[in-house]
Amino acid sequence: MQIQFWQILLLTFLAFFGICENLMTNICAGQPVIIGTIAGIIMGDMTTGLVVGATLQLLMLGIGTYGGASIPDYMTGSIVGTVFAITSGQGAEFGIALAVPVGLLMVQLDILARFSNVFFQNRIEKAVDKLDFKAIARNTWMGALPWGLSRAIPVFLMLIFGSDLVDLIIKYLPDWLMGGLSVAGGLLPAVGIAILLRYLPTKDYISYLMIGFFLAAYLAVPMVGVAIIGLALAIISFKQSGAQSQNVVAVNGNSGQEDLVDGEFED
Amino acid sequence: MENLKINQQVITDEDIKKVSWRWIMASQITWNYEKMMAPGYFYAMLPVLRKLYTKEDELKDMMHNHLQFFNTTPHMGGFILGIDMATEESEGIKGKEAVNGIKTGLMGPFAGVGDTIVGVLIGTIFGSIAAYMGVNGNPTGVVLWMVVQALLMVGRYFTVGMSYKQGMKMVTSTRDRLNAITQAATLLGITVVGALIASVIRVNVAASFVSGEVTVAGQDVLDQIMPKLLPVLLVAGVYTLLGKKNMTSTKAILIVMVVSIILYAIGFLA
Repeated sequence: MQIQFWQILLLTFLAFFGICENLMTNICAGQPVIIGTIAGIIMGDMTTGLVVGATLQLLMLGIGTYGGASIPDYMTGSIVGTVFAITSGQGAEFGIALAVPVGLLMVQLDILARFSNVFFQNRIEKAVDKLDFKAIARNTWMGALPWGLSRAIPVFLMLIFGSDLVDLIIKYLPDWLMGGLSVAGGLLPAVGIAILLRYLPTKDYISYLMIGFFLAAYLAVPMVGVAIIGLALAIISFKQSGAQSQNVVAVNGNSGQEDLVDGEFED
Repeated sequence: MENLKINQQVITDEDIKKVSWRWIMASQITWNYEKMMAPGYFYAMLPVLRKLYTKEDELKDMMHNHLQFFNTTPHMGGFILGIDMATEESEGIKGKEAVNGIKTGLMGPFAGVGDTIVGVLIGTIFGSIAAYMGVNGNPTGVVLWMVVQALLMVGRYFTVGMSYKQGMKMVTSTRDRLNAITQAATLLGITVVGALIASVIRVNVAASFVSGEVTVAGQDVLDQIMPKLLPVLLVAGVYTLLGKKNMTSTKAILIVMVVSIILYAIGFLA
């Protein structure tokens, strides 16, 4: 299937919109499974976009730009991966294999965008000295440009010039590599899950990991069913910790104010 | 903090709406390495600042004051803005030190709780459901996640007004409650991840064992030991790998890709 120019424009806009919406209203939240699905709709094949996005999603579950850290940009990866999975006719696994390196390389542009915004910060500071409120507003909203363009320009270029390269790859790609990448597509979610388990206090909650695994592996309970049992366990835990903290308050009186300053959490 | 509002109230509901909306739209759009969310916080506070400080030098002073380093979870910043507004309304320019104390004192703890709940836990729970349904071609989970994110945004819109009206006490009690919620949600998240291990990792063993006349498919042997044995071992392996020094998630991804290609090439996996 040949990509149409209006599709390229729409997908370029999607990349711009995706990152800015993530920073603003946060409904699509820059998540590959959501953005990939939209890219699939634009390409007229939602399911492929959904599968590419969902697999990339598993690589970054629960991972965000905490404290301003840059993370692989699988949102942009999901757009590019979806497009080439559909245009090449090679299917979702091929798209995933392309999207992973794209997502990893895009980190550099995320850093560039975050750096570029220092420029607008300085302009805002200058505008404050002059009490130029229009310039303050203008330079605040201009901050969207480094964010949006750092995603939109690479997507535009990859969609314009990428298809020849992708054709070349498909023509010369040996079977062992193609099949190997397809196997990798199945295994990669394990990496995302392991990264997530490193984030979460897994060792303290290992029994719940086992409960969830048992329900899915042995009883074949679907995910929503597992979530319902998890929710039930969560409510029990919440009620118990609520009872405990009431006791603590009774003992300590009301000393909440001080511990606000030296909170136990670090950003 | 209780009898804060001795001074005449000048901040109206209109102002609160303006601040809430500006915080949603602009809090991160000028995020930068130097002062992170500072321009966003400043831009959200600007309508209130212009109203409270009528003298030019005071206004400039406080404007620059709000352009100092700030960073927290976007979903939690509204609580801090509300307290800040109430303090500045009653104290005026004299409250500058107090305001800076509130901002720097609250942004860290709120980021800790906020990143955990909004980023890690909601992302884990609803991301898992969306991805699990998604790999099977079902978009329901995607829609569900978007609905949850939209509800979060609506809730976030009201945080500024809530904390402006109820003050520090409400912020403290919210944080206590959030700690209990964090614990409960962590438990739920980890349960879901356990199920995820069993359902989204695809490993097909192509190799088979030959002993004399009998050929046994490798996958069948493994399934008899435990269903989904290889996904469990794989996750455990990568988990251990990530604990090693100098190991990054990018390296782990590349290692898994290379190993997949090798195992496919020798005919062990398909």
